[in-house]
Amino acid sequence: MARMKFYCDAERCIECNACVTACKNEHEIPWGVNRRRVVTIKDGEQGERSLSVACMHCSDAPCATVCPVDCFYTTGDGIVLHDKDICIGCGYCFYACPFGAPQFPEEAAFASRGKMDKCTFCAGGPEEDHSSDEYKKYGRNRLSEGKLPLCAEMCSTKALLSGDADVISDIYRKRVINRGSSAFNWGGNAKITG
Amino acid sequence: MKIQTLLLLVGLLLPQLALADGPPEQKNFPQGVSTERLGDELWREVRQRDMQSSGISQVKGVDSGILINARGDQWARFRMDQLSTFGGIGIAAIFAIIVLFYVVRGRVPIEGGLSGNMVHRFTDYERVVHWTLAIVFLFLAITGLILLLGRPLLLPLFGKEVFSILASASKEGHNLFGPLFLVSLIMMLISFARRNLYERGDMTWLLKGGGLIGDGHASGGFFNMGEKTWYWMVILIGLVIAISGLILVSPNFGQGRLIMGLSHVVHTIGAIILIAVSIGHMYLGSIGSEGALEGMKTGYVDINWADAHHDRWGKVCHEENLIIPAEEYARLQGQKPGSTDEMATAEQGK
Amino acid sequence: MIEYLIDGPLWYFSLAVFVIGVVWQLVSIVFASRKQDLSVARDSATSGAIRTIFTRFVPHKEISSQITIQVVAGYLFHLGLFALLFFAAPHVVFLEHNLLGFGWTPMPHWAFIVSAQAAFLGLIFLWLRRMVNPVSRLISTLDDHVAAILTFVVMLTGCFALLEGSTGLRLLHRFSVELWLIYFPFSALMHTFTFIPSRAFTGAWFGRRGIDA
Repeated sequence: MARMKFYCDAERCIECNACVTACKNEHEIPWGVNRRRVVTIKDGEQGERSLSVACMHCSDAPCATVCPVDCFYTTGDGIVLHDKDICIGCGYCFYACPFGAPQFPEEAAFASRGKMDKCTFCAGGPEEDHSSDEYKKYGRNRLSEGKLPLCAEMCSTKALLSGDADVISDIYRKRVINRGSSAFNWGGNAKITG
Repeated sequence: MKIQTLLLLVGLLLPQLALADGPPEQKNFPQGVSTERLGDELWREVRQRDMQSSGISQVKGVDSGILINARGDQWARFRMDQLSTFGGIGIAAIFAIIVLFYVVRGRVPIEGGLSGNMVHRFTDYERVVHWTLAIVFLFLAITGLILLLGRPLLLPLFGKEVFSILASASKEGHNLFGPLFLVSLIMMLISFARRNLYERGDMTWLLKGGGLIGDGHASGGFFNMGEKTWYWMVILIGLVIAISGLILVSPNFGQGRLIMGLSHVVHTIGAIILIAVSIGHMYLGSIGSEGALEGMKTGYVDINWADAHHDRWGKVCHEENLIIPAEEYARLQGQKPGSTDEMATAEQGK
Repeated sequence: MIEYLIDGPLWYFSLAVFVIGVVWQLVSIVFASRKQDLSVARDSATSGAIRTIFTRFVPHKEISSQITIQVVAGYLFHLGLFALLFFAAPHVVFLEHNLLGFGWTPMPHWAFIVSAQAAFLGLIFLWLRRMVNPVSRLISTLDDHVAAILTFVVMLTGCFALLEGSTGLRLLHRFSVELWLIYFPFSALMHTFTFIPSRAFTGAWFGRRGIDA
């Protein structure tokens, strides 16, 4: 079976936020919830790089480890999903996630966060495929139609890659070779001084 | 001959000193190409563990500029592997020890038994404050333990759907009652602080193990050293729990995940300690010691109990003639003398 | 099935018992025969009645130091409960959809929680005082305890359902409310309405004699 992953090529990302917008639009995500975000390091300085981050669908997901009600599950494709009917909105998955993927609709006092929402790799949720319940709770289910996540599809520079891990790493390997940099020079170019 | 050699040496050395220009300097090659390893810097920023610097994101949210937070996984594993496991085992172990203690030692009786002559110990307000704190604490302890230990212990029993309902209710209840714990704690602090200050004689009590070591008699004041220590544990650890709880329960102030994880660990460890020792407190205050519960239930204690466990205070009661004779006490309670049940029941009528 | 019962027939039944019961009790109090006061009226009974309804909100200064717990905890509980009942967002929505057809601006969420906490603290304090004080305990009836505990159960089930994500918890809360409504007219909870005729009667009786009660 495929092992689904995301990879964001820092050399190509231009911080256009098309991935963010595509995701928000496709799944009709409410205000305040951001399944995907673009983070820019060294903004305005030499060596500025941007990376698009959402749920990384970890093999040994910390969110699944720490959930008090065990609402996470991993599909056969390696996609980490959760059941909103079981979720109690405690926020522990957000504390545990290295990437800050879990999001909550409210940030009210007394920890009334509402149910957790996060990137689903456009694979919906435990509800029946393509049902209106599934769309309301988890967004569109593209994977069951044989399509890849919309964020990667909409990426203007093909910086964000999604799909089977072997396929993606192969694509990136070819890019690295074409750029002529060594593996240790990731993200860097030659620079002339003097 | 020697002078000439010396002069020659000096003559050769001096020009060298004049020409010497310190440690060798870096030589710049103006026509060269230098490659800075920008990849290293980027990689370092992305891989930083302690979030010393963060990037910028157009998406504004808590920690949205931080790419990787490695502490999160560390916290998650600590909670599941160490905190849950040792916390649960610790509480169960204390419970087992108490049961064992009761089976072996039994209820600690008063020499000479209860006399029926009572002395006033706690006012109505003090008892209300104590029982309010007790009820709020027990509710928080149970809901908290459901949240901490529910997944390994209760989820297999109830199934995911039912346990989710139980956990959701516990989480909401726990979060709402938390600030009530702080309020009750402050009331407890105000009411009982003065009598719980450590004084001379407390060390002796400790060295005698409260009566466990030696002849079974340890001198105590209004509160003995054990009670005082429990009091200050409740106040100090309770304050830590309450404040970390308030941090956890108000994410609307934008606390990062590091603060939340830290608060959670401090909160849970403090809570486990208090729960464990409270089991001992509840035991000693009820079935562990004859005549103990009456004080917090009715406000009055038997003078024999006072003399046995708090003799310095008992002495004051004797001297200042604060003892209520048995017949008078029974009359005030509306009962026949000799009965130790403190409340009238159907006799009084409604 | 249970959901249908609790959201349907049992709701209407409990509402009917509540409304009819309260009206019946109040009518029977107001129209009960009274002993005629044969003394000469020195002052207006009506003004005494109305004045006493309001002056009794503050205890007499002679006893106020002895009943501080009741006053403070009492106000905490009642004000918190009132705010909860009528200004908490889920309740405003409920009243709009199920009873009145119109709503109003609810409290912000944090104010909802703070009023709930005040109500809980007040109620726990008051009930404990009832149990701890020997005189209160002596004269308390089963009805007094059931009223307090049933109200606590209603509040607690409401607290449990705060996430508004579980049908089961919502039904539990609604069911406890329905039990509370049915119990209401036959219990001490009637003080919600009877305090008005009670204070008015005392105020009128003494006001007629020129005494500020």
